[in-house]
Amino acid sequence: MRNASAITAALLGTMLLSSTAVSAADIKIGFLPGVVDPFYQVMQLGVEAAAKDLGIEVVTQVPPTWGVEAQTPILDALVARGDLNYIIIAPTDKDQMVAPLQAAVDAGIKIITVDTFLGDGDYANGPVKFPLSYIGSDNVEGGRISARGLAKAIGGKGTVYINSTNPNVSSVEGREQGFKDVMAKEFPDIKVLGPDYNLDDQNKAAQQTAAVIEQNPDLAGVFGTNVFSAGGAGNAVVNAGLGGHVQVVAYDATAEAIELMNKGVVSLVLAQKPFDMGYLAVEFALADKAGVTSLPKRVETGFAIIDKDNVTDPNYSRFIYKVGK
Amino acid sequence: MTDSKAMAGFDEPALSAGKRAILLISRLWAWVFLALMIVFFVVAVGVFSSATFLSVRNSQNILVAIVPVLLLGLGQTFVIIAAGIDLSVGWVMSLASVLSAHAIRAAFNAGVPLFLSVVLGFVAGVGGAALVGLVNGLIIAKLKVPAFIVTLGTSFIVRGMSLLFSENTTVIGLPEGIRDYGNESLFYWVRGEGGGFYILDKPEVSGELLRSMDRILAWPVVITAVVVLVCLFLLKRTQFGRHTYAIGGNMQAALRTGIPVDRHIIKLYMLSASTAGVAGVLSTLRFTAGSAVIGDPLLLSSIAAVIIGGVSLFGGAGSIIGTVIGALIIAVLTTGLVMLNVPAFWQFIVVGAVVIIAVLIDQSRDLILGRRGRGT
Repeated sequence: MRNASAITAALLGTMLLSSTAVSAADIKIGFLPGVVDPFYQVMQLGVEAAAKDLGIEVVTQVPPTWGVEAQTPILDALVARGDLNYIIIAPTDKDQMVAPLQAAVDAGIKIITVDTFLGDGDYANGPVKFPLSYIGSDNVEGGRISARGLAKAIGGKGTVYINSTNPNVSSVEGREQGFKDVMAKEFPDIKVLGPDYNLDDQNKAAQQTAAVIEQNPDLAGVFGTNVFSAGGAGNAVVNAGLGGHVQVVAYDATAEAIELMNKGVVSLVLAQKPFDMGYLAVEFALADKAGVTSLPKRVETGFAIIDKDNVTDPNYSRFIYKVGK
Repeated sequence: MTDSKAMAGFDEPALSAGKRAILLISRLWAWVFLALMIVFFVVAVGVFSSATFLSVRNSQNILVAIVPVLLLGLGQTFVIIAAGIDLSVGWVMSLASVLSAHAIRAAFNAGVPLFLSVVLGFVAGVGGAALVGLVNGLIIAKLKVPAFIVTLGTSFIVRGMSLLFSENTTVIGLPEGIRDYGNESLFYWVRGEGGGFYILDKPEVSGELLRSMDRILAWPVVITAVVVLVCLFLLKRTQFGRHTYAIGGNMQAALRTGIPVDRHIIKLYMLSASTAGVAGVLSTLRFTAGSAVIGDPLLLSSIAAVIIGGVSLFGGAGSIIGTVIGALIIAVLTTGLVMLNVPAFWQFIVVGAVVIIAVLIDQSRDLILGRRGRGT
């Protein structure tokens, strides 16, 4: 399913490249990611690459902090410009961002959500239907893939622990859920502890993991639902003399996560494909403008699992979130 | 400590036994609370799991965990005793982390030996932080803007600067070896056959022996302990400390007795920023990367530690040891609750309650001693 829709999208893109139905002057896109971080910066590279390839003007505004209160004023300002036809946005809250984005739609702007979605993410039958499409990773699937990767690394048995960032954030919640599901169904010999929430505090992630190791000296693996969680957990693991014995899986292939892996703190890194998300979103906008009516409502861009063995392989290393230099 | 000094001036012979007991509690309650909490976790963790709360390793975990909160709280203790407040410390810590990471990386890549690079990292991190403190202090002392407003403003400025100076919020590519400065320790204790006690000399062990190796007094803990000692000395034994109490106790009186209040206030905010700077550099060494967000969540915890430790927000009273106890209470709670599988958010609820109790006890002492009640 996922692959099929991704291929459709890619085909669409190729078709668009050769089409001249829409003049670039007719369309102007606003891009509003969730916060300043490497993931969104790579997404921005994708957006800009597509804009360049297709000759479209894109206006990017990045909120300095994550949250509705930071994102909404910027969204309102983008709408107030009056010259944008499309806004590509990673909504920072699936419920609270509905009304501000509805206001944008009322102002004649079409919405494409990337990475995060509105409502339940089902724009065909769900409670929120106005966005053109959602392009992102299936976080539950990412959690499942992480679980299988970790289970393989620890030989299918033992105790593992989830260290996470914040409760009630759809992305991390999905990762935890997928992780737990797979462990419960496919690996009955693996016991899952946590999640503990570190509130994006790496020091706290280290302290929590150290406490868990203290209580469970036989701990075999840790799933860090983002790079802070994995980095803090990995630090505690190495300091307990367990580097290489306790496997740590990190979600998101930031350069920092890769560096941690090369140092032996993290064993597996799960890469999302933010470049794809950004590039496809711009293509979708152009396609819609050209009158395409069969755009998929949901595109899942998939994952790459990076480990020490494949990190130098260009087929994998291309998914590391590289920005600038 | 200050309590005893203050009480000497209020030597009331007619206090009833009950009131005397309350006074005693008011001086010792944080110690008692910490002790009771440790006893509780020792028993509860022992009953509900197979782990030991007061193992060597866990006690060291707790010491490592208090480092950032305590360092932020140490400078803050001086500022609050002098009836000020520094809201910028968390973000100053992040700035120091970013600056030190850049300095270490640049120096090391330019061929400077690792140890010297780390020293330069401290110079850049703590120096940059102190500069922010200088700005805070100048505006507060010379332009008479309330400290709350000034440090709130600099928080935003410093936060923006940290994000600008960092690359993607995190500065990476630091030399591998700095990990040792942030994570290795003074002593190592390997139990079992082939083990032993090692000083300054990490034993080459592997497998089960490595698992059982305890690191005792990690370098960040040692450095923090040195900062604690320096602060203790400054506050208790020097004119600097006496002036700090005098300014917080009665600003007008301090001015009349010829204390250079403005200069002193500038120094206080530089001190506060500097201890936050040390915290930032230590976190860079610990995680082998500079982070523009590492200090974000720490401001409130550090102020809570200071208040639990008995520093009055109205100035004039407080001690360094109190702040150490306050930071310990917070760290023991986090570790203990995780070991009991209690959601860590209970930590906030307990810390909040303890903060309020601390202030209540402070007030009841003032009432008994016939001093003007505070906060009324």
